[in-house]
Amino acid sequence: MNCRSEVLEVTVEARQVEEAMLALLHTILLHRSTGKFHYKKEGTYSIGTVGTQDIDCDFIDFTFVRVSSEELDRVIRKAVSEFKDALSNSGSDGMGQISLEFFQKKKSRWPFSDECIPWEVWSIKVNVVNLANEQERQICREKVGEKLGEKVINVVEVINRHEYLPKMPTQSEVDNVFDTSLKDVQPYLYKIAYQITDSLGTSVSTTMRRLIKDTLAL
Amino acid sequence: MAHFDTDYQRLEASYSDSPPGEENLLMHVPEGAKSQWHHIENLDLFFQRISFIPKNGFTCMLLGEIFELVQLLFVVGFTVFLANCIDYDILFANKFVNHTDSSKVTLPDAFLPVDVCSARIRHNAFMIFVLVISGVFWLHRLVKFIYNVCCYWEIRSFYINALKMTMSELPYVTWQEVQARIVEIQKEHQICIHKKELTELDIYHRILRFKNYMVAMVNKSLLPVKFRLPVLGECVFYTRGLKYNFELIFFWGPGSLFENEWSLKSEYKRGGNRHDLADRLASRILWIGIANLLLCPVILVWQILYAFFSYTEVIKREPGSLGARCWSLYGRCYLRHFNELDHELMSRLSKGYKAASKYMNCFLSPLLTVVAKNVAFFAGSLLAVLIALTIYDEDVLAVEHVLSSITLLGVCITVCRSFIPDKHMVFCPEQLLRVILAHIHYMPDHWQGNAHRYETRDQFSQLFQYKAVFILEELLSPVVTPIILIFCLRRKSLEIIDFFRNFTVEVVGVGDTCSFAQMDIRQHGHPAWMSEGKTEASIYQQAEDGKTELSLMHFAITNPQWQPPQETTHFISQLKERVHREATGLLKKKKKRPRSLIANLLAGPSTLSSVHFGRDGCLNNHTAAGIGDGASALRSLSPISSSLYLRAVSKAMAGSGTDARTVSSGSSAWEAQLTSLVLSEYASTEMSIHALYMHELHKQQSRGELPRHTWHRQESDESSDSVPDEVRSEPNTHLRNFPRSHTFPTTVPSPSAIPTSASATSSSTLSQQGVGGFQMFFSYPVGAGVKVVRSARVPMGGWAEDTQGAPRHHEPLPEESSEDEMPPHIHKVNPGAIM
Repeated sequence: MNCRSEVLEVTVEARQVEEAMLALLHTILLHRSTGKFHYKKEGTYSIGTVGTQDIDCDFIDFTFVRVSSEELDRVIRKAVSEFKDALSNSGSDGMGQISLEFFQKKKSRWPFSDECIPWEVWSIKVNVVNLANEQERQICREKVGEKLGEKVINVVEVINRHEYLPKMPTQSEVDNVFDTSLKDVQPYLYKIAYQITDSLGTSVSTTMRRLIKDTLAL
Repeated sequence: MAHFDTDYQRLEASYSDSPPGEENLLMHVPEGAKSQWHHIENLDLFFQRISFIPKNGFTCMLLGEIFELVQLLFVVGFTVFLANCIDYDILFANKFVNHTDSSKVTLPDAFLPVDVCSARIRHNAFMIFVLVISGVFWLHRLVKFIYNVCCYWEIRSFYINALKMTMSELPYVTWQEVQARIVEIQKEHQICIHKKELTELDIYHRILRFKNYMVAMVNKSLLPVKFRLPVLGECVFYTRGLKYNFELIFFWGPGSLFENEWSLKSEYKRGGNRHDLADRLASRILWIGIANLLLCPVILVWQILYAFFSYTEVIKREPGSLGARCWSLYGRCYLRHFNELDHELMSRLSKGYKAASKYMNCFLSPLLTVVAKNVAFFAGSLLAVLIALTIYDEDVLAVEHVLSSITLLGVCITVCRSFIPDKHMVFCPEQLLRVILAHIHYMPDHWQGNAHRYETRDQFSQLFQYKAVFILEELLSPVVTPIILIFCLRRKSLEIIDFFRNFTVEVVGVGDTCSFAQMDIRQHGHPAWMSEGKTEASIYQQAEDGKTELSLMHFAITNPQWQPPQETTHFISQLKERVHREATGLLKKKKKRPRSLIANLLAGPSTLSSVHFGRDGCLNNHTAAGIGDGASALRSLSPISSSLYLRAVSKAMAGSGTDARTVSSGSSAWEAQLTSLVLSEYASTEMSIHALYMHELHKQQSRGELPRHTWHRQESDESSDSVPDEVRSEPNTHLRNFPRSHTFPTTVPSPSAIPTSASATSSSTLSQQGVGGFQMFFSYPVGAGVKVVRSARVPMGGWAEDTQGAPRHHEPLPEESSEDEMPPHIHKVNPGAIM
């Protein structure tokens, strides 16, 4: 519970799914990334530069800004295309949800693995519609563009609030807060997960964990 | 071309786009994670662990647990050894041992050789079953112990590093203080990331999220725990096993209503397919019931072993403990306020324990007493003879069965003695029930005025059961639980779905909580409990028994720093003011006319202590007849009334008591701790006054307006109706017309002002003595209500107050601290000294 959660909902046509998702995820990550940290001797660091670039969408009247990092883009694209495939293969009524979760790691003692504690979760709910003719598609193209614009402003508003962010780490802890695997950019640690259809159900692992904890706490 | 000269000129390049050196780069200093306590993942669990303050330090707790493990191992091992490895024939001298050197039988002679022993164990299937189960049990305890050690360690370092408390001062720290520090820490470390500041209510909501739901469900009688059985009548069955199953079904089991610990699944929040969801829930309950049924033998053996290991030692040490009573699990649920922590509830109930067991003892059957007395006499004389003979010559002991008969006779006498009441005790059920109410804060309306009836007693025993019954129920639980689940709970699935949908609210920074726990008078107030006009709740939404109102008062009093929402603040301050005004009004009165009955009001809040009216109910009001020296003697016996007096005085002088409590934060550590302990005592007393006050007021209202609870009154005692109707009803109308104008004019003598809130006992005394004779003592309008009326049942006591009042005012500590011993004072009153 101890994490913020934001929900964005979009209604798009099947071919727009990928671009819409990329637009939203990249917008969020743009604000949740920094340049690479270069640590100095006295526990200080300097921050490298980050470039941005504009991306025009093919199926939506929309242009968004993303961090100009090919590596990051590749990772996101991979996740989104998996999501898109799962969505088209599911055969359900085209409902799905992709979530971007920012977390930080906490070192724990030896026998246990590191805890990942989320601090912000963005859930994007997607509703896919089928359109009959070209005219409707044209309208949809514009409307989705407008909607995405609203969402981007929404995202920026949320991010501009003065709310909890992990503290800037020292050199030894930088891996607990930031994803340092990329060469040119350093986003906060994040995870992308998706699920198709609405019913989630308690996952078995949470139940088991709870069961064990509860027996122990008896 | 003229030279065109302007200020505008090219800026000399003082920087380069990408400096090769690093000297011009902006440097940052990382804050790092100063503590590990920022952003804790599972705050619910974290707060739960913190709320459990170890009273004796962590070392004691760990050592205790280690010894428990060893003890368990020993008990199992020893039992098996006794059952299998001893040749009892040798021990009982039925078989002779061939010794070459001496004829003495030694203990090792009776032991069987190891191989025989192990063979016997191996061939005994039941023994192996028991061993396996206890082995699993022990391993479970061991793992739990290790897990606990880790948790303790974490919490310990939180206490030391984050809360800055040393282990030595821990026993003196109250929860309120810890909580205040947590709220402080949030500002610095951001334990919870949603908000900059935590409130007390947030912390309580997190700790008690599911418990609040359970309390609400018991309050709305949603859970099937009361049954009407053919022979036993109405009975309550609520055991730990059943509770565990309920929690499994609702909160965390596979496919439960909750998605995770803090949010209800979204489909349960929508009303659309409630029938589908109810069907699903019903089938889940069925499956869990069947699983229970299948596991029944294992759980049964487990329960028996558990009971055996936990209770044999206790029974051996003090056999009387089985005859003792304890607050039942249902009672704890019924009596619990919303947002009340375990330790708060337990300390409240423990304070009421003596009065409660005293009350139950009132109902000893006289027939049984006579029989018991005589049995004890005969058994005692036999025992005396046997002991005397033994003292004369201890060879008597060698005679067969002498030792065992001495033991048996001893047990017999102990049992009989428990049926013989103390002859110095004075029984006054009505007053006792009132004392109990002051601590437990809740009771059904129809108990008032019916305290002497067996129905009331039986119902009270549902809350306050014999320990033996408790253990028996726990043993039966594995068999009964599946039946209840399958046949009773399953039928309620639709109601349960509706309950969770209607009474769940999402609070920012907390998650989904039970809406009752918000303690919002507007949403869940009950018009018969002072929230008339403020509440907009339908009958379905109203909490029963004034739970919302009383919980709200309790929470506001225990957490004076809490900032409730606007309307709630209004309600609280209004109520406090009312109680306060009446207390001070009575104080003033007392100064003017010290000899009048009203002066006893000082004892007035002492309704709590009840010594006075407890007596007076029994002694039939010696009011006018000059209350003799006995009175002052009695007064000194009751520290609480004087402490209440004190409180009233301090309130009158220094404003409300809560103000005083908030002051404590500044002073030095030790002092602050002491004060906070004292002040928490104050808080509980204050809550008691408010609870009694609200119950009185509720009674007046419900009598006047015949709300839905009144049907209970039909079965009430005749005597309570013997007061003329007009006398009773008129003050009511007065009260209703001017509900908030309880000023306290001292001069207006009003003959109609017979106390409406007088309980059945006192009104029956009234009717016996004639109403007229009394009226001269009640020269005040009854708007003042409760307190005044109680004073009517306090014929004595004011005098000592006059002389002692002032000095006592300066030494609150001893007075207040002796509150715990209040019940013994009550019960040890010797009427002989007074008469």
